[in-house]
Amino acid sequence: MSTVAAGFERARGILPRPRGVWGFVLRRVLLGLLTLFLVSIVVFAATQTLPGDAARAFLGRNATPESLATLRKQLHLNEPVVSQYLHWLGGIFRGDLGNSLTGSQQPVTSVIGARIENSGVLMLIAAVISVPLSIALGAIAARRRDGVFDHTTSIVLLALAALPEFVTAILLVVLLGTSLFHFLPPVSLIPPGGHPWNYPKELVLPVIALVFAVTPYIARIMRASMIEVLESDYVEMARLKGLREQTVLWRHALPNGIAPAIQVIALNLAYLAGGIVVVEFVFAYPGIGSAFVGAVHNRDLPTVQALGILIAAAYVFLNVAADVATILVSPRLRTSLK
Amino acid sequence: MREDELDRIDEEARQRGISREELLKRAAVAGLALAGSGGLAQIARAGIAATPKRGGQFRVGVAGGSSSDIIDGQDIVTNPDQARLMAGFETLVGFDKNFKLKFNGLAEELSPNKKGDVWTIRVRHGIEFHNGKTLGAEDVIYSLHRLIDPKLKLFGGAALSSVNPHGMKKLDKRTVRLHLKHPDATILDALGQYVAGIVPVGYSPHAIGKAKPNVGTGPYKLKSFTPGQQSVHVRNPNYWRHGQPYFDGVVIIDFPDDTARVNALLGGQVDAITNIPPAQVGIVNGRSGRKVLESPTAQWTPLCMRVDTAPFNDARVRKAMRLIADRPQMVKQALSGHGHVGNDMYAPFDTAYDHALPQRHQDIAQAKSLLKAAGQTHLTVDLQSTNGALGMNEGAQVFAQQARAAGVKVNVKILDSGTFYGAQYLKWPFSTDFWGTRNYLSQVAAGSIPTSPYNETHWPDAADRKFLTLYREALRTINRKKRYEIEHEMMKLEYDHGGYIIWGFSNFLDGYNTKLRGLVPGWKGVMQLNNFGSGFRTFWFG
Repeated sequence: MSTVAAGFERARGILPRPRGVWGFVLRRVLLGLLTLFLVSIVVFAATQTLPGDAARAFLGRNATPESLATLRKQLHLNEPVVSQYLHWLGGIFRGDLGNSLTGSQQPVTSVIGARIENSGVLMLIAAVISVPLSIALGAIAARRRDGVFDHTTSIVLLALAALPEFVTAILLVVLLGTSLFHFLPPVSLIPPGGHPWNYPKELVLPVIALVFAVTPYIARIMRASMIEVLESDYVEMARLKGLREQTVLWRHALPNGIAPAIQVIALNLAYLAGGIVVVEFVFAYPGIGSAFVGAVHNRDLPTVQALGILIAAAYVFLNVAADVATILVSPRLRTSLK
Repeated sequence: MREDELDRIDEEARQRGISREELLKRAAVAGLALAGSGGLAQIARAGIAATPKRGGQFRVGVAGGSSSDIIDGQDIVTNPDQARLMAGFETLVGFDKNFKLKFNGLAEELSPNKKGDVWTIRVRHGIEFHNGKTLGAEDVIYSLHRLIDPKLKLFGGAALSSVNPHGMKKLDKRTVRLHLKHPDATILDALGQYVAGIVPVGYSPHAIGKAKPNVGTGPYKLKSFTPGQQSVHVRNPNYWRHGQPYFDGVVIIDFPDDTARVNALLGGQVDAITNIPPAQVGIVNGRSGRKVLESPTAQWTPLCMRVDTAPFNDARVRKAMRLIADRPQMVKQALSGHGHVGNDMYAPFDTAYDHALPQRHQDIAQAKSLLKAAGQTHLTVDLQSTNGALGMNEGAQVFAQQARAAGVKVNVKILDSGTFYGAQYLKWPFSTDFWGTRNYLSQVAAGSIPTSPYNETHWPDAADRKFLTLYREALRTINRKKRYEIEHEMMKLEYDHGGYIIWGFSNFLDGYNTKLRGLVPGWKGVMQLNNFGSGFRTFWFG
């Protein structure tokens, strides 16, 4: 919450002040856009630090003076850096991310379009499962603090948190796909043109791997904040009024306990956008992760830049959404904006 | 007829420049063929033992691949591209499992005049492209024009430098006369390379991999293709080889990640994969219903010394470096033992290869004394390498260890491939590189003369200019025996003074489901999985 407040303070300093919740939302969105703009400079600048230039990096062993000249022209590499940047930035707003350098040189948007759908579905399913699951785990653990359930979940979640997701992913494959049992496909081959929801079996293992990757953090923070809330005076008051424990827990304590967790949820979902790269690679899942790895490997800069901006945008969006959600669920913050 | 007998006939046919069928026919007329050794009965028995079955969808996972994948009858970018090319396209002549040239391709005849500068190509009767067009002389002329088009810069074009673009004449529907710029004994090798596919007139004239429709004469027609993911191919119902291919369809899937590829084989999601990491060979072999197919290759990852740059412009230093290499240890460590020891000479599958050259062994004492004589007792050199192929970085590192014993300090610099293949490529004084399986003279054209596209060592040095004269002489010598003598002289020069340290040749390690039949172990292939089943036409499901 402190980061929200601080951000709020900063925002108040430099921007005109439309009042109320919507004013706050507007300011957050504008700040998000500013962040994205800065990210775009960083993403673009990173491509300038390559040895040689982008054309030479891409052509590698096949570079000839003619092909270098053609590609440099195509990438506007002969223009000054600033105008290259403006050209690229302008393209983003027109929905033109340039053409992929590889193969048939299709527009980047069509290369990554289907990949975004695949990854989006994977992330969405992982989020829909892991967020309620971790909130419930955290809340129950807090309620039964120091009980068997609390200790067991603590140990399991800590163990999962300690394992990098590629290790859990590979363990899952060995356990359920290749060596011990054979009832799930160890790699997720979704043919081009197919939609991931038509291949539920292929989704199971990557989804579990992602759920394992994010659940521990959210559940831990949820548990900590619920313990604090359950010890507060108003919960005591609710209990003394004779409300059922279930009602106290889910209706009264949870909304306040969830506020700090929202930030962590957002961070973890944003992390999914990046962490999915590793999991997709292990399962050969055709999403943005494997597209990103492939594009970096091929030095396909337009695609790298587009995916870099896309993942950054996911981060910014989720953070803004988290800030707004925190305000909305916390009556204290909500009223202070009035 | 026995296999070796057929081999002999092919050899003779090659030498005389006529087709196997022609030779068989002539022999039959003379009443010699098929006599003795109970030939027919033997063929019949072999046929019963392994009758291929029709049907099924074959799924193969190929290492590598990315959005830069293409399908083109005459070019490749990635490893899966090779598999896709093989499924759809064919060459005039081909290589068999011993890397011997065979008249088993689209050409019924491919014969030179006495001098070797005029060749006659006649394609078989009644072969159809996937779009229904009948293969004819004009397609051969078009294909050769496209291969040597300087604008397209196709890799297969380098070996066809003797082909005169204005010297191709259509004699009749199926016959082409080829007037070369000079006599060329390697023309059959060049036409047998898998990238010398025959494409129909008008096939993608200005760009690589953009043909529409993308058609060849191969066993499978292309149905769909998504670069970086997969391609689907369906059986060509009008295929010219009787009975083949056996599968209804083939799916070629990209698998850049080693673990995912092996998992897909173990999990039964694919029927075969290429490039099993040496560490996982045991895992695959230990699983019931899965097996590893190991095949020798003539592909190599040399250490390249620039013969025109200090310290390697001194032949004594080059020899010392070659004596430092403990080749068996390099094969054992850099290739995990899945390979063969090299002898600083490429093209071991070539019938021209000189097996009389003594195997070079590690000799630190001699290396030290050579370095001393050259005034390089405490030599320190940088060795540039990149992760281009298995054996490049590994070989460099093992060599650096071995060099310490001779007082030579080798600093291995592992570069990212953009830097390695950047402006400095082919200019590094000491570097690694990788090469595929080729015959000797084709390899010389590709990497050992000043006009080669990739001559890392800048061979020949000033003292060995004779090499170039010999090369030109060898090209012009159609008589095989005489040519081999010249080639041996060339090999001797490279063996004594060359800039390559060729320590080994890696094996292909492929995995397959045992329900797959038709795989031949020990196939001396250019590509994995028996050259991808020569276009997936020699495999079937048992």
